[in-house]
Amino acid sequence: MYDDLIGKGVPMVDGLDKVMGRHLFTADMQLPGMLYGKVLRSPYPHARIVKIDTSKAKALIGVRAVITGRDMDFPRYGVAGQRILDEQLLAGDKVRYVGDEVAVVAAIDPDIALQALDLIEVEYQPLPALFDPREAMQESAALIHEDQDSNIPYKINFTRGDIEQGFNEAAVIVEDKFYSPLHYQGYLEPQAAVADCDARGRVSLWIPMQAPTLGRGTYANALGIGEEDLRVIQMPIGGSFGGKLEYKLHALCALLSRATRCPVKMVNTREEDFQVGLPRVPMYIKMKLGVRKDGTLAAKQTEIVADSGAYINYGHAIMLSAAHRHDNLYRIQNIATKAWLVYTNKVATGCFRGFGNPQIHFAYESILDMAAEQLGMDPAELRLINSSQPGDVTPHGWKLLSCGLSDCIKQSVAASHWKEKRAQHTDENERFARGIGIGCCLHVSGNRTFLPDWDGAHCVIRIDITGKAVVSPGETDLGQGSRTTFAQIAANELGFNIEDVSVNLVDTDISPLGLGTFGDRATTLGGNAVRMAAIDARNQIIATAAEKLDLDPADLFISGGICYSNSHADIKLPVADIAKMAYYKMTGGLITGHGNYAPPDVRVVDPDTKFGNVSAAYPFVTQISEVEVDRWTGKVRILDMVSAHDLGRTLNPLLAEGQVQGAVAQGIGFAMMEDMGIKNGVIANRNFERYNMPRISDMAPLTSILVESNDPNGPYGAKGLAEPAFTALPPSVANAIYHAVGVRIKELPITPEKVLKALQEKEKNI
Amino acid sequence: MKQFIHLVINGLPWEGDVQVNRTLLEFLRDDLGLNGAKQGCDGGECGACVVMLNGKPVQSCLILAAELDGSSITTIEGLNDDISRIIEEAYVAVGAVQCGFCAPGMVVATRALLEENPDPTPEDINNAMVGHLCRCTGYVRTVEAVQYAVKRLKASEAREVRTNVR
Repeated sequence: MYDDLIGKGVPMVDGLDKVMGRHLFTADMQLPGMLYGKVLRSPYPHARIVKIDTSKAKALIGVRAVITGRDMDFPRYGVAGQRILDEQLLAGDKVRYVGDEVAVVAAIDPDIALQALDLIEVEYQPLPALFDPREAMQESAALIHEDQDSNIPYKINFTRGDIEQGFNEAAVIVEDKFYSPLHYQGYLEPQAAVADCDARGRVSLWIPMQAPTLGRGTYANALGIGEEDLRVIQMPIGGSFGGKLEYKLHALCALLSRATRCPVKMVNTREEDFQVGLPRVPMYIKMKLGVRKDGTLAAKQTEIVADSGAYINYGHAIMLSAAHRHDNLYRIQNIATKAWLVYTNKVATGCFRGFGNPQIHFAYESILDMAAEQLGMDPAELRLINSSQPGDVTPHGWKLLSCGLSDCIKQSVAASHWKEKRAQHTDENERFARGIGIGCCLHVSGNRTFLPDWDGAHCVIRIDITGKAVVSPGETDLGQGSRTTFAQIAANELGFNIEDVSVNLVDTDISPLGLGTFGDRATTLGGNAVRMAAIDARNQIIATAAEKLDLDPADLFISGGICYSNSHADIKLPVADIAKMAYYKMTGGLITGHGNYAPPDVRVVDPDTKFGNVSAAYPFVTQISEVEVDRWTGKVRILDMVSAHDLGRTLNPLLAEGQVQGAVAQGIGFAMMEDMGIKNGVIANRNFERYNMPRISDMAPLTSILVESNDPNGPYGAKGLAEPAFTALPPSVANAIYHAVGVRIKELPITPEKVLKALQEKEKNI
Repeated sequence: MKQFIHLVINGLPWEGDVQVNRTLLEFLRDDLGLNGAKQGCDGGECGACVVMLNGKPVQSCLILAAELDGSSITTIEGLNDDISRIIEEAYVAVGAVQCGFCAPGMVVATRALLEENPDPTPEDINNAMVGHLCRCTGYVRTVEAVQYAVKRLKASEAREVRTNVR
């Protein structure tokens, strides 16, 4: 490391393109002769398809293809390494939710494609629909997937320690039920795809996709073609938050392009995106917690019913994350957890910032406050007593090589004036009451709970003859700025100016086959691979120069794109010259650095016991929120927030704080505003007017504190950040509301209606 | 059905036929290839498509192009004067952009705001931006970006630089 770019607030390398409108997204693409695809979707939550007649649609002038689930035998497929293959690209016999794909059309313009959809005649035989997972999981319930024995495709059941003994030791036992709703990612760029098939049937697919390599495999399976017949080219991603992993529209676009041998574009309307996105998995959570007299956690029993919707998608992995990740936040030995993933006739659910973690932390962090109250203990103190510590190996086998949770708690308590504010209580007769609440969480940096084969990262860095570096990572930039971070890491190790480093998007024909960006893996795993590739390239540059100059490589170093010698002050050899020397020497080869990183001592969890160290590094968060509650209306206003993040090491404070701010804002939506209201299987509020996402006027001041615990596995010590920043916000608000007015809301979102109702009930009971 | 109209687009005259059912956003994107304005919703809820119509910010998805005969339209592509560049640089410098999908609309809105009100209060900024959804940044820096642009504009006196925004 020669030039210290690490820790610098470098603005986004592609920022100007973005603000000038030059960052082109998938929907901006035009190819010659391009067709437009549209999807015919089920209007029923559960129905048998009796008959489909496409003759009128096919006869419409300008229509180039109409394909239904009966035109070919679509293979069954699944995503995320699951063993139950419950999806097909188009429904053949049965539809399972309002929005399920029944047919696709390609036409010469979007209006004709829409007209063609109207001309497809489908006769349905409606079936009774199941909307509540607690009903759907009953043995007597009708089957949503008739080839399965029940509506419960996955179950989890594990114990650690001695649960009975644990509860016997408890001085206080609290038990309650919590719920978190369907929650839409709300990325501003609707889902989109462009596909182009060549004469041999090989498809190029331009998609805003977090995990191009995983997508290639999944889509090849879904289409019944070889992976070699698909090339996935990542387009700039207009926000994703987990919502832009495997998505059926991508494969349907490839299908239409293969059928027509023309380029095809498909773009969701916003309404479709709401209807058939893959929103957060709703969970019903029952939790019982025992705490000893001294405040140490004695035992915890948890039951989770996770509402998968019509298909599993990532549900099995999300449910596991909800079931066991939070157990590693505090020291607790006696744990019993059961969880059921249940099909319902609703939109299939999926990944969204936190991956099951926000749902469970809302319950856990709420119940901790309830226990603290019964013990007469300060809730921050209770958390501090139990906080995991560096070096801990948890009951699940997680190795916390670094852990800054205690620091996060202490620093946020100090910055928020917690003690003074906690001591204040407003008079019951006053309209406005203030309260302050805390929430903590942990996360992963890469997550080996569901991908059995490999979870590492690979990077290739090529040094051009002009002396510029081109970085090809396997991890994608979702808008969070990994292109910038990777450019920083590469420039830092190469000794280049950051302007001389560019970072490619992922193309499965060209890029290393990385897994992509999810589970907070980009910075930690991808960053390590970039660093290793840059060191490899640097060593080659220096070796070339050393040979030319007849000097010891150890005597040379690169700074600002120029190679210097420690012993000969007059030597100033530009890297461009060295790169040219290498190019001639290798008769046209370029210096190319490779970095392969797989985190040491990490393995996929045991399929039955769920035991195993799942991640390279574990980030921790403490969130403190101060609220004002209007006793007359139930309206809650956040007044102030402090958010402390153990991110290992801050590579770029500008981008890191940006992640915290964005995640907290999204957390405010999840905590207080957002709920996809389903009525008879139809999402009622399927637009931004009725689905209430935070706007600029909903924000409150936020202080972010970055705690650096320097993880030995992180590049320069860095861990994940973007997901946990979201998770701790909702419970901190719920706990602050309780502190203000003494009512506890256990169902998200915490709307004025719920607060008012709880206040009225509290009044009655006095 | 089509209608013949005259426009000034990004300072240059344009005339031709437009489909009468074409929104301004569709006209700009699909007919003219001006892709800077984005479609983020099904109509008027997100602000990603904001352009200037006769100097005022409008949601281009809510207006029919055929009704604009004689108007002047400025898109993000047409904001290439010094003031606009300072605004754009401010968004990047303070980190008010992440994925970039909402950014062109916000920059156009900022340009229009500062044209009307060169020294906006945080409340003025909130009012100008409340129609713009951003899911990435949490908006803290949207306010900072506008304030930073104002500061730099004052320092550089770039306000005296000729602008092409009509």
